[in-house]
Amino acid sequence: MADSRLTSPPILHRPTEGRPEPRMELPELNIQADAGLPPTADEVVVFQATGVNVHYGKFLALKDVDLAIHRNEITALIGPSGCGKSTFLRCLNRMNDLIPGAEVGGTITFHGEDMYAPDVDPVDLRRRIGMVFQKPNPFPKSIRENLSFGMKVNGIRVDDDRIEQVLRHAALWDEVKDKLDQDAYALSGGQQQRLCIARAIAVNPEVILMDEPCSALDPISTLAIEDLMRTLREEYTIVIVTHNMQQAARVSDRTAFFTVQQLDGGDRHGILAEYNATERVFRAPEDPRTQDYITGRFG
Amino acid sequence: MATSTPTSADIPAARPLARKRARPGDQIFHAAVFSALLIALAALVWLLISVVAKGATALDWDFLSSQTSSRASRAGFLNALKGSVVLMIITIAVAVPLGFAAATYLEKFAPLSRDELRVITRRRRRALELRRAAGELTGPRLLASRLGIALSAVWARIGPPLNTFVEINLSNLAAVPSIIYGLLGLALFVQIMGISKSLLAGGLTLAILVLPIIIIASREAIRAVPRSIEQGAMALGASRWQAVRSHVLPAALPGMLTGTILAMSRAIGETAPLVVVGGVAFGTAVPSINPLNAANEDLFAMPLQIYTWVDQPQEDTWGPLAAAGIIVLLVTLVVMNLLAIWLRNRFTRRW
Ligand SMILES: Nc1ncnc2c1ncn2[C@@H]1O[C@H](COP(=O)(O)OP(=O)(O)O)[C@@H](O)[C@H]1O
Ligand SMILES: [Mg+2]
Repeated sequence: MADSRLTSPPILHRPTEGRPEPRMELPELNIQADAGLPPTADEVVVFQATGVNVHYGKFLALKDVDLAIHRNEITALIGPSGCGKSTFLRCLNRMNDLIPGAEVGGTITFHGEDMYAPDVDPVDLRRRIGMVFQKPNPFPKSIRENLSFGMKVNGIRVDDDRIEQVLRHAALWDEVKDKLDQDAYALSGGQQQRLCIARAIAVNPEVILMDEPCSALDPISTLAIEDLMRTLREEYTIVIVTHNMQQAARVSDRTAFFTVQQLDGGDRHGILAEYNATERVFRAPEDPRTQDYITGRFG
Repeated sequence: MATSTPTSADIPAARPLARKRARPGDQIFHAAVFSALLIALAALVWLLISVVAKGATALDWDFLSSQTSSRASRAGFLNALKGSVVLMIITIAVAVPLGFAAATYLEKFAPLSRDELRVITRRRRRALELRRAAGELTGPRLLASRLGIALSAVWARIGPPLNTFVEINLSNLAAVPSIIYGLLGLALFVQIMGISKSLLAGGLTLAILVLPIIIIASREAIRAVPRSIEQGAMALGASRWQAVRSHVLPAALPGMLTGTILAMSRAIGETAPLVVVGGVAFGTAVPSINPLNAANEDLFAMPLQIYTWVDQPQEDTWGPLAAAGIIVLLVTLVVMNLLAIWLRNRFTRRW
């Protein structure tokens, strides 16, 4: 799998305090990388989860997950419904903080730092780790306001160039350039979802988390979003939850297969069954449960 | 699974379609519910007709523009109209900010459970210790931060049960008879706070009367905004308050305003609490429309005026005036309700 990732730099993109720098600087960083740094991008771990347990109240939803997510890769989380894929994804931007009763145990580091340390500001963290939800959730406002909100909140100057750039990035510009001031809910579902992606990109995140971003969409919009993910991978790290295995196989570099473990006592928790390069997971899965799932024999 | 395909012999002949038959139960029920509607409507229509028949002659510009008087031939509705306007202004000015804020708090901020509050407090305390160790916090600021954290620790204990108690009692409050609010207003505003029996006391009393209604309606409107909107904003790095202020509240506003208008249309027709806080229907001073003067103005209001007129012994002379007043009050109410309906249909979103 030799591609551009291998030449990306091992330099952690850490925004300086205060005003975030525009993302457009990345090419410069690449030049630095070409100037002698070893091509070890695959080894740059963005998230490292160790022994992660998630409880909802007393219910243990996710048990003992160890998982490393690598920079400039697309990591797919697959598995049967209810196995905790969304739960795990929400751990990665501390969205679980907003869910009453949810409690995350174990450790998750972001670029080596404990994300759940007491003095870490989850608000700032969420700006660096964007999220796209399963159901498109644009703000009930104009397209322009959908994009500008996040930028304003994060102290990024809003201008028309920036809006155009972001919309082009999300492959939406041609469709909406004449109706930037119209209500976002007038867009089709696929367009709304791309707007949500654009909104996430607009605040210069380092990572984009996507929770089944295509599940409410038609096949054409789905392909548009998959294309978009491939381009975004150049600059961002992407984690995507999907129930569509072809999609995981088509777009992702690594695949984590979650499943439900049924204990004798009747307790069910989600566990991580297998995590490997996508090709391996689909061609030669090591775990029989993965095998069953991807061949459709999952009961 | 059987492997043999079924033969035609296995399939029973199709039953012919059934014919229509009478269902007397349905017809009787239909007739019953329809006549219930008719009875309700008939009462309303009769009321309207009799009021209009009686009041139409008295309702003219003179009626609306002259002051109240002890002589029926000269008496007009001006005091009551102006009084009601001032009452509405005061009620809105007090109840809307309080009600919207309380609803926002109860819907969006109070649900943090005790455990979460405790975790947050613990995190804050550790962060404080780190900053103190780094020498960033000293003297009075350190003390202030300590105090804040101590308060939030106390709140983590008593806050959530208190919230639950408040929530349960809000709906009880909305059902309390209005005269009780009148007594509360009398005790609180007139006797304890020493406000004279005036439009101000009346307006404040109506404000606490409608507060629970506004809070309940606003909470519902806020709850109707999907959580995904707020989460979408927070996923972009907005704080909870930024998310609520920029997206949840604007989206909920039409519903909140609809609830407010309906609450106001209740307030504008209330009589009993105003009687208790010293409402009047006769007097020489016409209240000014300026709400800042309300503390010095006699407590006039449309329903009070109507009530007093209806109560006069000479029915022939005062009756038409009362009927004309009722027409004015009804028209006001209909306009307010139409506004609420329009607002709801025009701005409410299907998510
Ligand atoms: N907010 C919540 N409160 C309580 N239980 C939840 C909540 N969200 C998810 N769960 C439970 O956690 C388990 C994993 O859910 P989820 O992460 O949504 O699975 P997936 O995304 O893989 O379908 C499920 O059993 C689900 O019922
Ligand atoms: Mg899910």
